[in-house]
Amino acid sequence: MRLKQGSFLWYLYLDKIYCLLSVRNVKALAEYFHILDVHGKNTLNDVLFYHFLHHVTDLKKAQINIVFDMLDWNAVGEIGFEKFYMLVCMLLAHQNHLEGQFMYRHSRPVFDLLDLKGDLRIGAKNFEMYRFLFNIQKQELKDLFHDFDITGDNRLNYQEFKLYTIIYIDKLQKRQKTEEKEKGERKRSLYSKCHIKQIQAERVSWKKMESESTEREH
Amino acid sequence: MEEKPSKVSLKSSDRQGSDEESVHSDTRDLWTTTTLSLAQLNMPLSEVCEGFDEEGRNISKTRGWHSPGRGSLDEGYKASHKPEELDEHALVELELHRGTSMEINLGEKDTASQIEAEKSSSMSSLNIAKHMPHRAYWAEQQSRLPLPLMELMENEALEILTKALRSYQLGIGRDHFLTKELQRYIEGLKKRRSKRLYVN
Repeated sequence: MRLKQGSFLWYLYLDKIYCLLSVRNVKALAEYFHILDVHGKNTLNDVLFYHFLHHVTDLKKAQINIVFDMLDWNAVGEIGFEKFYMLVCMLLAHQNHLEGQFMYRHSRPVFDLLDLKGDLRIGAKNFEMYRFLFNIQKQELKDLFHDFDITGDNRLNYQEFKLYTIIYIDKLQKRQKTEEKEKGERKRSLYSKCHIKQIQAERVSWKKMESESTEREH
Repeated sequence: MEEKPSKVSLKSSDRQGSDEESVHSDTRDLWTTTTLSLAQLNMPLSEVCEGFDEEGRNISKTRGWHSPGRGSLDEGYKASHKPEELDEHALVELELHRGTSMEINLGEKDTASQIEAEKSSSMSSLNIAKHMPHRAYWAEQQSRLPLPLMELMENEALEILTKALRSYQLGIGRDHFLTKELQRYIEGLKKRRSKRLYVN
């Protein structure tokens, strides 16, 4: 799922720590929402929502409908600005590879969104439907339920979900640290290789100069 | 959703995919410039706005300002309201208000630095009082979005809504009131856009 380059949303960006928009960005987004609110109800209906998402992302029709059903909590067929803002944050998090951070920072709202039935549990099927929003692979999802379904009912309650987000972010940070370490080591080894080559080249040239000078003396 | 105030830097280097940023940096530069210029005023927005109502009319007394290089701005300013002298009383109130707000902001800092800050704030408030029309301009700038951004949003919305109109026509018919409403809205948006282009 990618944002269309050059679209309005493409110019917005999330704070990397809290995964939220700045006030100015929210203001711009509110103005954008207001322009799309054709019927003056401070909402977007399903048709407007579909065309908006179809225009700014590469999502398919089925995926767009799924997202609309997820956001339309009250089943009124319209999306208000709050849900719109949340959707934009999710899209930007996905675009900037901050999905794990987003789920960690906003675990409660994300849980509530995925809890389609409202029984404070997320089923594997529902999570499977929406995993494209958070860039979770199939195997990762299986492992998630295997490792974190402590109650054993094949569903995640909020505590289990929160634990998953905490451990996910912990793993991510460790992976980033090891990657940075490896980068640093590679740079150092590259530098030392260049340095050794330079020394060898200098030695060779020095030897040549010495041999030439001895030849001249003879 | 939890929201905490955070310093969102407008540095394009923070964004991934930075190769394309230089091409699309115009809008962001405008945004940044507006922010920076406001920061130089060293004045909270509430104070800037307190002298003006929602329509930008000056509801407090202001000092007249005339500069040869700012003809159009002055004309526009004069057209909206008459410049008046700033009361000593109003000035004193302004300084007091700034003093209290500075106290709150500084909190536990040294008294010496506090005194210096108050001095500088009173100086800057006097300077701001001299340049009242600019306050209105910056207040307006702070509340408005940059025009290139507005243009981008409107163009994109126009494309989206034009496609939506086709769906409306196919789904609920051309005679439905929602279809007509959308059609009128699109026409209004196009007129506004062409007006702006014509003015530019």
